[in-house]
Amino acid sequence: MKNHTDVLIVSQNEVPSFGYLCRSVTNSSDGRRELEVRAAPSRKRSGMEIFMNEFSRRHPAVLFLYYLLVLFLTMFAVHPAALAASFGGAFLFYLAENGVKTAMKDLAYYCGVFLLLAVLNPIFSHNGETVLFFMNDRPVTMEAILYGAAMAAMIVSVIFWCKCYQTVLTTDKVLYLFGKTVPRLSLVLSMSLRFFPLLKEQAGRIGKAQKAMGMYAKDSLTDRLLFHVRLFDSLLTWMLENAVETADSMKARGYGLKGRSHFSLFRFEKRDGTLLGAMGILTLGTGAAAIGGMYRFHYYPGISAMQTGLWAVASDLLLVLLFLLPFLIDVKEKILWKISLR
Amino acid sequence: MSRKQAAVWAVTLLLSIGLLAAGVSAFRDRNYMMISMMIACLSCVPFYFSYEKKSGSTRRTVILAVMVTMAVAGRLIFGMIPNFKPVAAIVTVTGVYMGASAGFLAGSLAALLSNLFFGQGPWTPFQMAAWGLIGFFAGLPFLKEFLKKAPGYVLYGLFAAVFYSGVMNLWAALSIDSSFSWKAYGAAAVASLPTLAVYGVSNIVFLWLLSAPVGKKLDRIAKKHGIF
Repeated sequence: MKNHTDVLIVSQNEVPSFGYLCRSVTNSSDGRRELEVRAAPSRKRSGMEIFMNEFSRRHPAVLFLYYLLVLFLTMFAVHPAALAASFGGAFLFYLAENGVKTAMKDLAYYCGVFLLLAVLNPIFSHNGETVLFFMNDRPVTMEAILYGAAMAAMIVSVIFWCKCYQTVLTTDKVLYLFGKTVPRLSLVLSMSLRFFPLLKEQAGRIGKAQKAMGMYAKDSLTDRLLFHVRLFDSLLTWMLENAVETADSMKARGYGLKGRSHFSLFRFEKRDGTLLGAMGILTLGTGAAAIGGMYRFHYYPGISAMQTGLWAVASDLLLVLLFLLPFLIDVKEKILWKISLR
Repeated sequence: MSRKQAAVWAVTLLLSIGLLAAGVSAFRDRNYMMISMMIACLSCVPFYFSYEKKSGSTRRTVILAVMVTMAVAGRLIFGMIPNFKPVAAIVTVTGVYMGASAGFLAGSLAALLSNLFFGQGPWTPFQMAAWGLIGFFAGLPFLKEFLKKAPGYVLYGLFAAVFYSGVMNLWAALSIDSSFSWKAYGAAAVASLPTLAVYGVSNIVFLWLLSAPVGKKLDRIAKKHGIF
């Protein structure tokens, strides 16, 4: 076996499949065997993407608080600057989390939703003093159109925040937060989430067994329908029996006994404290500005004038900063990552 | 109902009234959307609380998780056909065979979990409350036996369709015009008539298909292991 030193050649050429592609090449000149390994660029998770979700790595309690704050502010906002800031923050964050392509596609769709909602308001609301034209003897006012646009912006912003929420506050974090206050509820939640892959797996198994026995082999609609009915039937029975077994196993391990601790990966770190502090300062600032009347705005009967001056700009900036926090944190980490690669 | 439970109900009711009052006075009749979302969330609290406090085995809880999974899986499987979903039917059966508070939990959690796939939004609390209450009413002691047989579940399927559509129209009306008006609600109701018809048909079809076999399975498992 001498002279058989294996040489590992790792190349990064484009290979169509995921993972690694190995190819053994025997070099005849000196009898050494070369093993060529081509690393395929994994499309699933490049380094970039891992760091894109920097914001979601913060402590669940801080994230939850931030979401409460943002949703609350957005839903009570009437001032155009506040609505614009909220939408901007939500959209940019969504973009940072999901990439440009997905974000643009969704933006186009929700532009349609926005227009629809904005157009519907003046049909139902005839308040306002600037009449633009009459439709069916009913006045259509500029105020109603603008108010409709503001409310539509509010709803679209909330939708975008909720879309981000799914990637940021994942179920394990929610369970960590509420597992102690509502133990049974969170048990049902986490167990049914676990049942999805289980259900899929078992459905595949039952389906294969049915096919192997030669049942429902025809391609007709009734056959396919009967197949699914039978599949559902045995699946449910299996799931229920399995549930009882799971419950017994849990009980045997002491589920629900006093003094049981729970494992979690979440720790309150310095960066969480920093974020919480920033949130606190910005909230106090916006609160003070709100008391000072900086966000006062009304659409009816006439559109009120925008606040001007240094204080107005400063208070708007506070809101912009507050809404942009997730995006800024994501982008900061992205830039740091890029610099570190140099 | 225990004293503690009654206290939770009373506090929730008072909070809801307080929120409404705040919405009318402090926010000058704007922000109905926020207020109603908060009330929808709040309305779930007493039901959750009553389930938490009820003594019951882990087995029962895990079986409830299975029913929630089935409801969500049903919504996913029929994702191609808009509004034709077995969720309300499965939730109803869960309520009938497992009790009112379990029915509420099944409905509201099915809404919460399935929206992980269909998209969360301001409509989630409304859906949670609507499906939850459908499950809750089905589990009320005087309705249970009636709903197990033919005329009962057909009527309940229709009721569930009207109820669900009624609650969701509330959200639709509020998203058109943020202060509530009967005119906007009426328009939303008229616009949703075709959807309502699909809801009604799907509820009846799925209850007809599912209520006997699924009920039988739940009964069997309850007898076999002595659960409910």
